[in-house]
Amino acid sequence: MYLVANVNVEICASKSCKLCTQYCPEANTIQYSEEMGKEQGFKYGSAYIAVDRCKGCALCVWVCDSLAKNNAIKMTMIDQLPKAALTDNITYGDKSTTAVLASPMVG
Amino acid sequence: MSLDYVKFSNGFEKFMPKEYRDMVEHGPFGKKVTVSQMGSFKEALEEHPMCAGCAMTLFIRLAIIAFPNPEDTITVGTAGCGRLAISQAAIPFVYGNYGDQNGVASGLSRGLRLRFGDKPKDVVVMAGDGGTADIGFQQVLHSWFRKERFTTIMLDNEVYGNTGGQESGMTNRGAVLKMAPLGKKFEKMDMLQMAKVAGCAYVATVVPNNPRRVESVIKKAVLIAREVGSTYIQAYTSCNIEYAIPTDKVMEDAKTVENDRYQFTEYVSEEAKQYLTERYGYKEFLPKPAAAIPNKA
Repeated sequence: MYLVANVNVEICASKSCKLCTQYCPEANTIQYSEEMGKEQGFKYGSAYIAVDRCKGCALCVWVCDSLAKNNAIKMTMIDQLPKAALTDNITYGDKSTTAVLASPMVG
Repeated sequence: MSLDYVKFSNGFEKFMPKEYRDMVEHGPFGKKVTVSQMGSFKEALEEHPMCAGCAMTLFIRLAIIAFPNPEDTITVGTAGCGRLAISQAAIPFVYGNYGDQNGVASGLSRGLRLRFGDKPKDVVVMAGDGGTADIGFQQVLHSWFRKERFTTIMLDNEVYGNTGGQESGMTNRGAVLKMAPLGKKFEKMDMLQMAKVAGCAYVATVVPNNPRRVESVIKKAVLIAREVGSTYIQAYTSCNIEYAIPTDKVMEDAKTVENDRYQFTEYVSEEAKQYLTERYGYKEFLPKPAAAIPNKA
């Protein structure tokens, strides 16, 4: 098993600083969705991780903890995530993306 | 070299992989994308084999987003870590033999001007510190003296990271590396002064811990290189493997180095300032003279 980043939607959707999306070295790995936070009744959208692209460097954890001071991202073992976004399930819109969450474990 | 090369051939849409369809429909081509929109559009850079937490990859990702016209851009690189990511973008990439990237870019940029005339076609060289300051040094300096109109970006990780940690001209004095156990005996090369002496129209140093600054520096350099002359950007992109930086501390290290020896500096020649002001409404940031600051008391 290996570690991937996991965003706490409750904290992220109440702050919505989008800093982590600008600091990830992997393209299209930390995505932003307007709907993810609003579905849960928050004012803003939330960042989320395409776990199949995450290399587990934890750079975003430092950015969220030390630059943004939000502490919303934690490293989690991939089999401990009941549901996560995968690149194949991400749809791009005009200003935001949407993801259908599914179990990241195959088989 | 136009928007046509990022479109589907008739009838082939449904057979294309998802990433390709996303790129055509929601990619950066033909519209302006900025760093603040990251995470909500499909990027030209795809998955790549660079190490986890590599600051060089972050810089390359930001640079590719910052290109003013990605559909009219060609990147040129050489051996080194950087090309592993640059070649994975939906932007044509030319792989020069070790050290000749600025020679290749000179010919390419002249050829594109002959073929397309006034239509802007950008050539951007992205090579490591070894490719730019050691092995390709002669061709880099000559292209600057000839005032070739393209951008040279040095991805300065201060080591030969791809081959096990040998010292390069850009390594700091005294640095002990795996393949340089006695420590480097000479000073780091001052490429910024050399670029100014050789007549570059725009010279800047940048560290990727400020994404918006990276974006503005790259945009300025590429636009100036269209008409005025050579431009040079030196970016500190640490090697977390050879310098043993924990991946989650990469940005902390970038911040420390920025405060220590890699402060943001920018040199814009008078001709380039005039060009930017006339075409793009560029305003130079100047600190206010002491007399102009109102007295708070």
